[in-house]
Amino acid sequence: MDFLEISRYGFMIAFFLYCASFIFYVVAVTGKTWKNRDPQRHERKWGRISFATSSLGLLSHLIYCAFRWAYSGHIPVSNMYEFMTFLSMMVMIAFTVIFLIYRKILLGMFALPIAIIIMAYAAVFPQDVQPLIPSLRSIWLYIHVTLAATSEAFFAVGFVAALLYLLRTIEFDSNEKSARRQKRWIEFTLFSIIIVVGFIVSVFAFRAGGYEAVFTQNKTVIDSQVQQDSTIEQQGVYHMPPIVAPYQSKAESVPSFLGMDRAWFEAPSWMSGASSARKLNTVIWALITGIVLYLLLRLILRRPLSKVLAPAVKGIDPNDADEISYRAIAIGFPIFTLGALVFAMIWAQQAWGRFWGWDPKEVWALITWLYYSAYLHLRLSRGFHGRKASWIAVIGFLVVMFTLVGVNLIIAGLHSYAGTD
Amino acid sequence: MGKARRPVQIIVLLCIVVLGAYAINSAVLGRGNDKPVVGSKPPAVKLLGLDGKVHTLDEYKGKAIVINFWATWCTYCVNEMPALQQQWEKWRDSGVVVLGINTGEDKMTVTNFTQQLGTDFPILFDTDNEAVRDYGVVPMPTTFFVDKKGKIASIQQGELNLKTLNEQIKQLVQTEG
Amino acid sequence: MALIENTKCECGHQNRVGTVLCESCGKPLDDRGDSKGLLEMRYDGVARRSQRVNPNFIDRIWNFFSSVKVAVYLIIFTLVGAMLGTIFEQESNFINFDPTTFYKDKYGQIGEIYYKLGLSHTYESWWFVLLLVMIGASLVICSLDRVLPLYKALSKQRIPKHMQFLTRQKVVYQGPLAEEGRDWVERAVKPLRKKGYRVHTEKSALLAEKQRFSRWGPYIIHIGLIVFLLAVLFRGLPGLHYDQHYWFPEGEKTKIPGTNLYLENEKFRVEYYSEDEMSEGFRKTGKVVAKLFETKAVLYECTANCDDPSKEPQLKEVQRHAIQVNDPLTYKGLRAYQFDFDLTPKLRSVQPVLVNQVTGEQYGKFKLEMNNPQQEFKLGPYTLELKNKFLDFSLNEQGQPISKSKDPNAPAFLFVVKGPDLPEEGSQFIYFPKQIDKERFQQDAINEKLGGLQNKLELDVQSMEDVDIIASSSYLNIRIDRAMPFVWLGLGIVMLGLIMSFYWQHRRIWLRIDEGILTLGAHTTKNWFGMRREVSSFLSAMGIEADEKSLENGGE
Repeated sequence: MDFLEISRYGFMIAFFLYCASFIFYVVAVTGKTWKNRDPQRHERKWGRISFATSSLGLLSHLIYCAFRWAYSGHIPVSNMYEFMTFLSMMVMIAFTVIFLIYRKILLGMFALPIAIIIMAYAAVFPQDVQPLIPSLRSIWLYIHVTLAATSEAFFAVGFVAALLYLLRTIEFDSNEKSARRQKRWIEFTLFSIIIVVGFIVSVFAFRAGGYEAVFTQNKTVIDSQVQQDSTIEQQGVYHMPPIVAPYQSKAESVPSFLGMDRAWFEAPSWMSGASSARKLNTVIWALITGIVLYLLLRLILRRPLSKVLAPAVKGIDPNDADEISYRAIAIGFPIFTLGALVFAMIWAQQAWGRFWGWDPKEVWALITWLYYSAYLHLRLSRGFHGRKASWIAVIGFLVVMFTLVGVNLIIAGLHSYAGTD
Repeated sequence: MGKARRPVQIIVLLCIVVLGAYAINSAVLGRGNDKPVVGSKPPAVKLLGLDGKVHTLDEYKGKAIVINFWATWCTYCVNEMPALQQQWEKWRDSGVVVLGINTGEDKMTVTNFTQQLGTDFPILFDTDNEAVRDYGVVPMPTTFFVDKKGKIASIQQGELNLKTLNEQIKQLVQTEG
Repeated sequence: MALIENTKCECGHQNRVGTVLCESCGKPLDDRGDSKGLLEMRYDGVARRSQRVNPNFIDRIWNFFSSVKVAVYLIIFTLVGAMLGTIFEQESNFINFDPTTFYKDKYGQIGEIYYKLGLSHTYESWWFVLLLVMIGASLVICSLDRVLPLYKALSKQRIPKHMQFLTRQKVVYQGPLAEEGRDWVERAVKPLRKKGYRVHTEKSALLAEKQRFSRWGPYIIHIGLIVFLLAVLFRGLPGLHYDQHYWFPEGEKTKIPGTNLYLENEKFRVEYYSEDEMSEGFRKTGKVVAKLFETKAVLYECTANCDDPSKEPQLKEVQRHAIQVNDPLTYKGLRAYQFDFDLTPKLRSVQPVLVNQVTGEQYGKFKLEMNNPQQEFKLGPYTLELKNKFLDFSLNEQGQPISKSKDPNAPAFLFVVKGPDLPEEGSQFIYFPKQIDKERFQQDAINEKLGGLQNKLELDVQSMEDVDIIASSSYLNIRIDRAMPFVWLGLGIVMLGLIMSFYWQHRRIWLRIDEGILTLGAHTTKNWFGMRREVSSFLSAMGIEADEKSLENGGE
């Protein structure tokens, strides 16, 4: 068994331990109200079990990281798979740190799913160990990416605690306009998380089924050297049944899926990039799967998801949740400044000779920084606490995720990792 | 504290206005780097001429100068050479100098070329691409028309024909220094 | 602030307009004393410098920038502006292109609107820079306005505070004591000192304080940001900034224009990952990945004849470095970065011999340089005069030989040969050093027309040692950035401020004992959880059991 294989096992074991630990946290939180139980003893016992399980998972995750590092000779953060896996590991570390300070098992119930989703998302990307291109061969890769992921993990914990706060303070009985709006938006937040799950589920489902459809697209390119129009044939391979075909394309082979044997419509002309139609197709599938999942959940539970979760979070004091959220962001912010901006600038200066180049990834890191600095100003000087601050923290995590994932998938730049879908 | 406050406020605000104006100005104008533009002074050059002597622009003080960046392998430059020569012959007594700056070729190539075409206006060698950089020359040919006051009157990119060249130089001569 | 407020506190202290808590005793001034709400403790309740009764024009501008609300709006506008700039590529990403058509061609109508709105150069637009300038102004004015009053308030704190000041803190304890107030206070000093507090007592009142320096963190961050912004602003001043890309052919000393430095690319190499350095999975993809780009560079400084193009400059080696990506050459603020390369080999010179094809006799070996070649060669009985050369040989529409570029892609040399059995004025002879060109352009056929020497004489390069080629060229980015140290300094200050303000907290505990009743109030800038825990542990050291949670003052 070589190092790579050990690291693969580490990844798998960590994933399953996290899932188990999530279930244990749920038992620890909801089981208190079960019959014939002393709530405090139950919570202590199951809290310990779940924390032990999640810590074991983290250990296994660290083993994955260490062995992959040993195998490849560089820190495993050089492509999207490695980075997302690393990020989920950092989320677990941030969670562990915050848990050790505050000892709130409820945090586990919400932080674990985030780590699990990020880890599953990582598995969507190709898992090959790739050699490092010259520009990545620098000590700054280690420092910059590690610190950036650490700070983002703390922002994730801040998001989790903020969500907890919102769920805790939601007023289900009130029919006031603000309360109704509150309910709607929390439900929407949960729905968005389910869409992400839907994306992962659909990718893996079609991958397991080995689905593949091929399109060819004729592209007219004006060749500058011969001053002549020349046509280049581009092939687009879909791993999901095509709902959207590439702009002006011909179906080469489209296996039938549930009676669907051709694309329903074509991508608009401005989506002319080779993979943009495929990405749009993936997004549509993610939405469909997510909506189906959500409706199924609603059907089974017969209540809005927020209403299902609300009783479970009764055990936390809203002020504590608010404070944890703030604390996590306050820990993360200096690390973010150092890792994602200052060290990134030092590296950029060394590799490209300019510390700042308005590359989309750089700009989005700046946007994240500006966003959280606005949060801190509002909190410190304008007295934003509780609900308002929590909403800002929830949206902040969206900004972080866009910086990490969205920029790579939608806007390409110097940081474009090799990716899929 | 009360008395010192007003001057401090005024000084701080003034600093911000001045620095801010400078920042906006340099950001908006800075897009074109520091290439010479119409109205600015042509950057100084110190280059070896075809005659074996070192030349600078100062030698032509008080004269109108047509600075033409060219090379023998550039078809458009070659095409406009006879026109430049004609204009040089026509205007040289009215205080106009045509100056060809050859970009990065050796003496032999240039000598043969000028002999073949029969041009005799001064030619300088920009061996290290210093002038090309200072003048921000991208396409060739690029021609800078400098008036007698030593200001760039216009910049032309691409091939010039006899007529436009004549008009440009006429304008240069008319703006007496 | 239209009404003239009575700003005199009951303790006799005259406060400035805008004061929230009496600067001396801490009594809330905002209401008649019947409120039970939590106190507003920012800036310790002191008035900002700019708060005054009758603001004039300058005051209004000043007040505008000193408002945190305005600062937050500025941050949000900048953030949104920065987002807009990432929708499509920025013009600055390209070197030679035409933005007027690019956006329309690539993105259609939307692209054209994007370009017309000026968003294709968002970060150089006047409004974006103006936003940054306004943020800078806000940083300066906000800090100036708050730091001085805060400094004054914190450096002369009164120890006994107003009762309401204590009971309206976020962490409060109130309870009876069995012992004499002064003794209790004296006893309380030790456990507080142990926790790192600086303790001040006055009769039966106490003030314990620690990590006050964390309060200066935000202002240090702001100072750092100002230094950073100024450094970025002055980076562009002439003479402080140089940014050019140049080709450096292997084995040549190339002048760096605008400086008196020359850089020689001794050797450029690309290294690729070998198969055993790749993972099994990656090997199967068959991709080749570069591992290293390296230019072995030597930097020379000109010591004499630098300014005289008619003379050879005198060079002195000043620096030697293997430039790699992530590892530039550095010399007195100048840096040379590996940027690109070209592996097309180029001829520098050949050393052919002249062969008499009839007798088989060989004459000399002479060096024919591509650039600035020698003009005359004497080889045995023959004299070769170089008449013309075409580095990139081609024929124009009139059938005349021309050179298509200045690169020696297809070099051709035109000689006039004089010697035995040749006409006195000589015969013309064309020579293509590259075998492929000889065939492509039919050297023999041309020579037949020129002077018929193709069967008599031949120029022949006998071994590869006689060919000198420039194997590759390295494209380096040469930069000088004299303001960089200030950029780093600014960022360093920012980091220092961030660490100060986020990883330490200013904690204060006030207590007073009135007729056997202990009243304790505590305040911290952040981490109330830790504050409560500390107060609870302090009280338990003093023999009072108070649950952490019970210390929390709900306020409402």
